[in-house]
Amino acid sequence: MHDAANQVIFGLDPTWVAVSILLVIYGIIMAEKFNRAVLSLLGAGLMILCGVVTQQQAVAGIDFNTIGLLTGMMVIVAISQKTGMFQYVAIKAAKMVKGEPWGILVMLSIVTAVFSALLDNVTTVLLIAPVTLLITDALGIKPYPFLFAQIFASNIGGTATLIGDPPNIMIGSAANLSFYDFLVNLAPITPLIMLMTMVVIWFMFGKGLHATEEAKALIMQFNENDAIKDIPLLKKSLFVLFCVIGGFTVAHTYHLEPATIAMFGAAALLLLQTWGQDLRSKDHAYEGIMAEVEWTTIFFFVGLFIIVTGVEHTGVIEMMAHKTLELTGGDFTATAGAILWVSAIASALIDNIPFVATMIPLIESMAPTFGGEEALVPLWWALALGACLGGNGSLIGASANLIVAGFAQRAGHPIAFLVFMKHAFLLMLMSIAVAHVYLYMRYLS
Amino acid sequence: MHADLIMTKDLVTCGPDQTISEVIDLLHDKSVRMVPVVDDNNHILGAINTLTFLSSLVPEYIVQGYLKSIPYAPDMGVLRKHYREILNHKVSDVMDRDPTIVMESESLLSVTAALITYDRFEYALVVDKQQKLLGIVASSDILRCLNKFSPEELFDA
Repeated sequence: MHDAANQVIFGLDPTWVAVSILLVIYGIIMAEKFNRAVLSLLGAGLMILCGVVTQQQAVAGIDFNTIGLLTGMMVIVAISQKTGMFQYVAIKAAKMVKGEPWGILVMLSIVTAVFSALLDNVTTVLLIAPVTLLITDALGIKPYPFLFAQIFASNIGGTATLIGDPPNIMIGSAANLSFYDFLVNLAPITPLIMLMTMVVIWFMFGKGLHATEEAKALIMQFNENDAIKDIPLLKKSLFVLFCVIGGFTVAHTYHLEPATIAMFGAAALLLLQTWGQDLRSKDHAYEGIMAEVEWTTIFFFVGLFIIVTGVEHTGVIEMMAHKTLELTGGDFTATAGAILWVSAIASALIDNIPFVATMIPLIESMAPTFGGEEALVPLWWALALGACLGGNGSLIGASANLIVAGFAQRAGHPIAFLVFMKHAFLLMLMSIAVAHVYLYMRYLS
Repeated sequence: MHADLIMTKDLVTCGPDQTISEVIDLLHDKSVRMVPVVDDNNHILGAINTLTFLSSLVPEYIVQGYLKSIPYAPDMGVLRKHYREILNHKVSDVMDRDPTIVMESESLLSVTAALITYDRFEYALVVDKQQKLLGIVASSDILRCLNKFSPEELFDA
């Protein structure tokens, strides 16, 4: 990976330049004083300006499969959320349990987990959290237990599929693992982790949730049918969503990447959305949807891929992989366990996206030790389980947590960092322990 | 034609420390829909109108825009509950701190542009160079002015 052709600025050692850029940028990202997309793009620019990588190498390092999959799904979600189907499902779920608070908490958590598995977590919580506040306001009880359960549900649900959580998208893309692979290997354990989480949440909050008969009657007065705003668009959105998810499951067989499916689905829904309208309305609708795509996240990824490519070029990640293997004595079971637990703790405390971006080349360079890329697969599951579930450990562990916390704060129900961590960290460790047992029994014994 | 020639000079104002219930009475007694909030020296601090009150009654999670419409929700009594809560709050707690403000020397075109650009109030507050409140131009004042004056008068005055 060393590239002697590059002219590093002032004749400095490229390893030190690259590692310094990475550490400084990650450090400032963690301080959360500046926009993370701006920082990652600055870091990426520095990698090229300082001569660690050329522009061509930097662009080659961007994983356009991840970028395309994220962008495509964001477009599909931006359109389908306009139909009101998420509110419909949330209210329907609340009414199915006759307005009983604990029942509502469980139902909304399941809805959150399922949507998070099929869409991105941030969008899911952004859609479910406001309805949750509306419902808890009607019930006259505090929303914290509900929001707490939803944060866990979104990260657990996101673990189940290739498209559920950004770390999985990155891992799937880098390791050439399909939607089906994720479904067969990660999805089976998530219901068990969800069940365990709900039992613990029942002991923490569930016993104390009570609402008056009048409040429950108020919930039954909600009319979910009025939530559906645009039935033709709902049909188009559901059609495209089903096709896209169906496409993901068979893509691998036809040698198609998930990004192709997602982008094609997005383009098809953009076309269907305004079918039959005049050009002016079509342009207007298209521009509205483009404005809703989270470009901050997309450009954050672009910058991050370039930063990691820079560090990878210097060979330092390969060196770290060797050090890790020395620590675990080159033992596969120990390495998988270490990846799971280190990923979980790290993802609870720092943004799991840069962490996974750095871990991917590190695990890739372990391939020779363990006998080729095929042998690495259990390590990818360890990384995915650790990074996704670890996000539950603190309020800053995952983007969805931050979104819920920010939203709750603005809505007058702030979630304190330490209070959340007190409830969440141990619960997160318990879920990792379950994941460890699962990994051991299925792949390592 | 400048802002100072079409504005209403007979003003109803309130101070930042008055209570909401006092201002609601004021809106009702004087039959106005907007009251500028000024300090002792007549400097503008903000403005308060009927929509400002209503938006402080609706829960934040709806105002924030994540639930753009809630046709499925019954009346949960939250409006009345919040209404009782805010009556004793101070004007400065709920007022709009960034009302539409124009200078006395601004043209009719400029005042109209300011009104439609900010799109929140039907009124613009007219101030002098020291930012002291002189009057109010309502969107209806502009229509009346266009109706009443000849083109020459509109340019010359």
